[in-house]
Amino acid sequence: MAIPIESSPPPGWEREGIDGLLGLFPPGRLSEIVGPRSSGASSLLLALIARITTSGSGEGGGQVAFVDGMDALDPTSTAAAGADLSALLWVRCGGRLRVALSAADLLARCPGFALVVLDLDDLGPVPASAAIRLQRAVEGSDTILIVRSERHREGSPASLVLATRRLAPQWMGLRQLTRLAGLRSEVSISRSRLYSLSPLGRAPDEGSWTLDWRL
Amino acid sequence: MTRIACLLTTTELSPPGALLQVALAHSPRVEEAGAGCVYLEASGLRGLFGDEPRLAGRLRDAAAAAGLAIRVGIAASRMGALAAARLGSGVTVVEPGGDAASLAAAPLSLLALSEDLTTRLARWGLRTLGELAALPTAGLFERAGAEGVQAQRLARGEDPRPLASWRPVPAFEESVECEWGLEALEPVVERLGELAARVCSRLGARGLAADGFEWVCRLAGGGAHEGALTPAVPLTDATAVTALLRLALAVRPPHGIVEGLTLRTRPVRVAPAQESLTDPSRPSPRFLAATMNRLVALVGSDRIGAPALLDSHRPDAVGLGAYAPSRSPSPLRGEGGPILALRRLRPPAPAAVTLASGRPVAMRSSRLAGRIVAGVGPWRSSGEWWTAHPWLQDEWDVELADGTLCRLAHDGSAWHLAGIYD
Repeated sequence: MAIPIESSPPPGWEREGIDGLLGLFPPGRLSEIVGPRSSGASSLLLALIARITTSGSGEGGGQVAFVDGMDALDPTSTAAAGADLSALLWVRCGGRLRVALSAADLLARCPGFALVVLDLDDLGPVPASAAIRLQRAVEGSDTILIVRSERHREGSPASLVLATRRLAPQWMGLRQLTRLAGLRSEVSISRSRLYSLSPLGRAPDEGSWTLDWRL
Repeated sequence: MTRIACLLTTTELSPPGALLQVALAHSPRVEEAGAGCVYLEASGLRGLFGDEPRLAGRLRDAAAAAGLAIRVGIAASRMGALAAARLGSGVTVVEPGGDAASLAAAPLSLLALSEDLTTRLARWGLRTLGELAALPTAGLFERAGAEGVQAQRLARGEDPRPLASWRPVPAFEESVECEWGLEALEPVVERLGELAARVCSRLGARGLAADGFEWVCRLAGGGAHEGALTPAVPLTDATAVTALLRLALAVRPPHGIVEGLTLRTRPVRVAPAQESLTDPSRPSPRFLAATMNRLVALVGSDRIGAPALLDSHRPDAVGLGAYAPSRSPSPLRGEGGPILALRRLRPPAPAAVTLASGRPVAMRSSRLAGRIVAGVGPWRSSGEWWTAHPWLQDEWDVELADGTLCRLAHDGSAWHLAGIYD
């Protein structure tokens, strides 16, 4: 008996929750996460890394390459998010934009990585020519390629651009603050070219997610 | 009737393999039993070398000619031969059927027992193999399990396991002499590629792979250029090996005209792995090895790897381990869930912090500056005061007027911006 695609989403798929958000990133395409400091963009990346490195059937998940433009990755946070650090290749570029772009290009062309992250932070947006080259490198593969930067550059070939926005920090304590408990942020789709790529047959091209990140 | 000879070196620094060569010159079945100890089958050698005392003497003379001082024991079991060699007077032959009697006075330490069983036997007051051999087997099995019974059989001179024959590892090495000297890099790589194809073909025919490559370029004028590379995974693919050799030689090319080339490999046996149909795919070893080499050339070998948490409470105590995709997930994982990420500043940026009533109210650094509208702290941590590099830190989590959440740290003398929450 044929089962309509719309009635049988993959196990664990919740279109409204963070699972739905993380499931949006298309393999074989360039995606971007943009947002200012303390907007939850890095937390979103860690959640995606944790999901991918633990996605196997109990014997390890996918492999992730993290090109760290500013040497900013905190492995303690990454492990706390549930990621398998042994499945993570960390390339520290020491604030050199050209080196980071070259490393991401090499990794995007190496088949077998489920996710390649290029974390540029405030090193600046990817130059248009480099973005096209990255898009070409990952085309036709099963690799998700994500660039994280503060700003989105017009003319980028990214298929999906998610924008993160800080809503409010979460503090603990009544009269006097005693501890930083987390951050509430909002993620919205600022560009989507994912028609027919979503597991539900169509891509959500509007809407936003409010997420609570805890410390 | 099986007869086994044990050769035991008494010289501390003996050339590796020399003892094995001495044994192989006398018997086709030889077992390597660790550093300085070799067993060989002595049955059926009478026609060649005479009786056993004569064979033992001949073995000792052959070893002396090779620069080795050895003790020789011949018995019906490995343990009997080992005890005879170790406890005898240089050349000792145990007559057939006399193993148990000769082993009776030998200490228990002759057996390679587990720590648990050694402790247990010592607690029972056993000191010699004879005392162990005299115990009732059923009771020993109840108390010490199969290992205890196995140890007792060895103590009684019973040796059911045949010798595990040692075979010399074939050398996988290819050389070429160049009729005309090679001045440019590309022809050198081309010739090395041909050598790699021949070596890989030989490795593949024996079901082996290579996890190390060494090359020697003989230069005009008598010099030599040597190098080595270790791929991320054992390889038998000549194309991948050639690509790695090209990268390695491009980084450190030979300075001179190359007149001859030699390529050596370190062979290893790789167990075939069955890929899972349901698990995510992994990078192909061939592509991964080439990519890793290019990345190392790009960022440096100390800036690439799998992140590793160090066993320390020191802030940012992380290292880089070797990256090797495996099917066994790391046990060091958190509970997961939506965790607020901290972006580290490496090194922490010096900051000028204004205090009011002991609390920070404004900060300025090369990365951030602004008025502090909320903050909690100090969270004090310290450690390693017993070492030459103790650390002490007060941490504050603060929110700037523009909404940025960051972590400030004071190490007792200066303020730093340690990280930014994102």
